[in-house]
Amino acid sequence: MKRSPIVAVGTVVGLASVLSFHSSPAKISLSAATGVSTTQPVTTTTKKQTTTTAPATTTTTARTTTTQKQSSTGATTTAPATTTTAPAASTTTAPATTTTVAATGVRSATGPSVNYYFGVLSVKVTANGKKITAVTIGTINDGGNPRSVQVDQYAIPILEQEAVAAQSSNIQSVSGASYTSAGFQMSLQYALKHLGI
Amino acid sequence: MSEVASSTRHLIDVMGTVVTVDLFHVSDNDEARDAVERVRALLVDVDRVFSTYKASSPVSRLRRGELTLGETPPQVADVLDLCQQAKTLTGGWFDPWALPGGVDPTGYVKGWAAQLALEELRALDVTGAIVNAAGDIASFGGPDLESNFRTGIVRPDDPQRFAAVVELRGCLATSGEAERGAHLFNPFSHTFVSAVASASVTGPNLGVCDAFATALSVGGHDVMVLIDKVDGYEAMTLDFAGSMRATPGFAFVRE
Repeated sequence: MKRSPIVAVGTVVGLASVLSFHSSPAKISLSAATGVSTTQPVTTTTKKQTTTTAPATTTTTARTTTTQKQSSTGATTTAPATTTTAPAASTTTAPATTTTVAATGVRSATGPSVNYYFGVLSVKVTANGKKITAVTIGTINDGGNPRSVQVDQYAIPILEQEAVAAQSSNIQSVSGASYTSAGFQMSLQYALKHLGI
Repeated sequence: MSEVASSTRHLIDVMGTVVTVDLFHVSDNDEARDAVERVRALLVDVDRVFSTYKASSPVSRLRRGELTLGETPPQVADVLDLCQQAKTLTGGWFDPWALPGGVDPTGYVKGWAAQLALEELRALDVTGAIVNAAGDIASFGGPDLESNFRTGIVRPDDPQRFAAVVELRGCLATSGEAERGAHLFNPFSHTFVSAVASASVTGPNLGVCDAFATALSVGGHDVMVLIDKVDGYEAMTLDFAGSMRATPGFAFVRE
């Protein structure tokens, strides 16, 4: 192919550069040309798996609700106050606004110690209002095995940074450079929940 | 608050990582919980069959020559077929057969499994769903009826900042050095050396995206040219100096 289809976008900072487009020859249609198909393996496999008895696992399903934080306000829950406060106050203590009452100022919370691949850790979150300002490891015990220490050294800083980055934009997910520890995420979720974020 | 979507997040501890399932505007919580439970069972079963970290898994036993392909569960042959197709499409840059220690479909399985997981959610009454397996993302729909999902691709040198934000229409896989050290195998030089610091691929199927991203990491520009020819797939790379290259259709969000 003589065309030069790949566009150098420049540096990360220069993302605004215009993407030029060179006319494309016919593209390969993956499903038609090669038979790569999402649906075929899906149906066969999933049917099998729904009836499979899964081995016992430590899988946890944590639920957090982004917009309904009634369960996350902890000690500062203000919902009951509606019965005792003046009308002006009761208008601010509707369930939907209880989190804003809790989520003010600089504060931090440490999630529970949870098992991760190499040991036990807990995650500490610091927030100002509803903005996460720092995510750090509260406690960690990896038993000192060399492989674990090595993983922790590069994985933990990435996880800490990602958690801060993820809430800085209007995005729903993060991709790349992530060795995502289940334990880290779980402790983090609980800490965030406690902070009403 | 319009910028905060009504979403529920489920964490599934499986495959040595965490898989997050995000559901947006769920109308039936029981139905959603059942679907997430099916996803969990599915992923646990995939891990049981395909894990190369578990010595007893069928794939581990296949690698050691203790089982023939015919003796493994049928999904193994299915995945190896898909791997063969990905190998052809990437001009050999994605090659599970070239890896030291015997055939290793791990580079395909995570994305493939997350794609299967997503299919379990498709019938739900939601505006959208995301399955994120440690940065490999399968999705349909959006955070509401009007918008598409947006995904931040972190900078390999600074995960606190995004190299780019992409509008997600389907799947996105990112492969790169920062993830687990120099772990990607170059099937031509037989060394663990990557051509770029980070490689992202978008498209309709996450297994394919995952394989393409792996190939792109080790093959660089040559593979990007190949991916650009495949309908529906787009690619973006960051080299070690921070320069970005992308196929023309890569769905950047300009902020």
